[in-house]
Amino acid sequence: MTEDSTPATGRPRARPTGAAAVAEATLLLRQHTDAGWTAIESTVIERALAAFRPSAPVRGRHDLGDFFLASDVVVARLREAVDGARGGAAQRITCTTGEDDRLETVTVQLVAAYGPPLLELSERVHAVALATLQTLLGELAPPAEGVLVHVHIGDVSDDPRIVS
Amino acid sequence: MEGRGVDPDSPGSSSGDPVERRRAPRGTDDLDPAAPAALDEVLVRQAGLGDKVAFSQLMQRHGPGLYRYLLRLLNDRGDADDCVQETLLAAWKGLPGFRGESSVRTWLFVLARHEAQAVLRRRTRVPASGSLPVVDVHEAAEELRDLRADPEGDTITTGLLAALDASLLLLPERQRSVWILREVEQLAYAEIAEVIDTTPAAVRGLLQRARATIATTLEEWR
Repeated sequence: MTEDSTPATGRPRARPTGAAAVAEATLLLRQHTDAGWTAIESTVIERALAAFRPSAPVRGRHDLGDFFLASDVVVARLREAVDGARGGAAQRITCTTGEDDRLETVTVQLVAAYGPPLLELSERVHAVALATLQTLLGELAPPAEGVLVHVHIGDVSDDPRIVS
Repeated sequence: MEGRGVDPDSPGSSSGDPVERRRAPRGTDDLDPAAPAALDEVLVRQAGLGDKVAFSQLMQRHGPGLYRYLLRLLNDRGDADDCVQETLLAAWKGLPGFRGESSVRTWLFVLARHEAQAVLRRRTRVPASGSLPVVDVHEAAEELRDLRADPEGDTITTGLLAALDASLLLLPERQRSVWILREVEQLAYAEIAEVIDTTPAAVRGLLQRARATIATTLEEWR
């Protein structure tokens, strides 16, 4: 195919040839962000985040009596605390409740950074998890032996964006 | 197809295709090609554990691609808006159970197509087999002619993009999905097969037919 020989009349350039047109159009589409997405982006994200994630209730106790927290909330707070402990990041956190929705055990599975001693990391995470549970649940927080920290090494990474 | 002659998933192909692999999703500007996928992994882990900021970042990264795919699949902005909303809802609810057996990008496209298919099923014009285009071929051809005949409209590039959109409407849903997921979103054949629930070999066949139709249509647009 030949280039369009029509003199340019205000257009920036000639139409591309057949195969080149496909390649160029594909590239354009790849780089294109639809205005529709830009218009709804914040709304759809907020609505999704407002959706209820079904989760078991966990009983807590403060001065005025007992209350319930969604286990999702407990997990989210634990993740914040655990990720704040240097050298590891929470990979999975599971809660087990027993009678009267009391939290019996919490298992924190970690991804560990390469290098730092794992025992120290485990103890640090155990301490912050316990402190967080006591803040959240008061006297109904599980005892120290109910908080299990599993140091799981699934990968070795020195990338601070993965584990700091 | 010129400029894209090597399919990286084809037997014996090398890594010569510069657009292959999902190591550099759009929306990230990191220079390290391995970094975006690694960050996805972190965001998925955090979002699964209830981190709303991580979820927002994940969706800001993948949302444009999901919307681009849904809009062209459904050819209706309202439906695309609804579907992307449902996709994000499903993602937020499903992330705690996401085990990383596929990339999160592939998983999101699986969710998106699932939502899109629900919409397509509701449309009375869609044949039960889904094997025919959801638009009138003559309408799409007319649209192409209109684009070509617009002498003083937008620039060539805008017209080209519009022509591509119009030519996509000529493709049956599965071909359209495969073409977009491969050529635009740059998923591997195996990932596309997971999204449309078929085999990589079937993906290859669908892609060839889609490429042929688009090449012919854009040739006419010239």
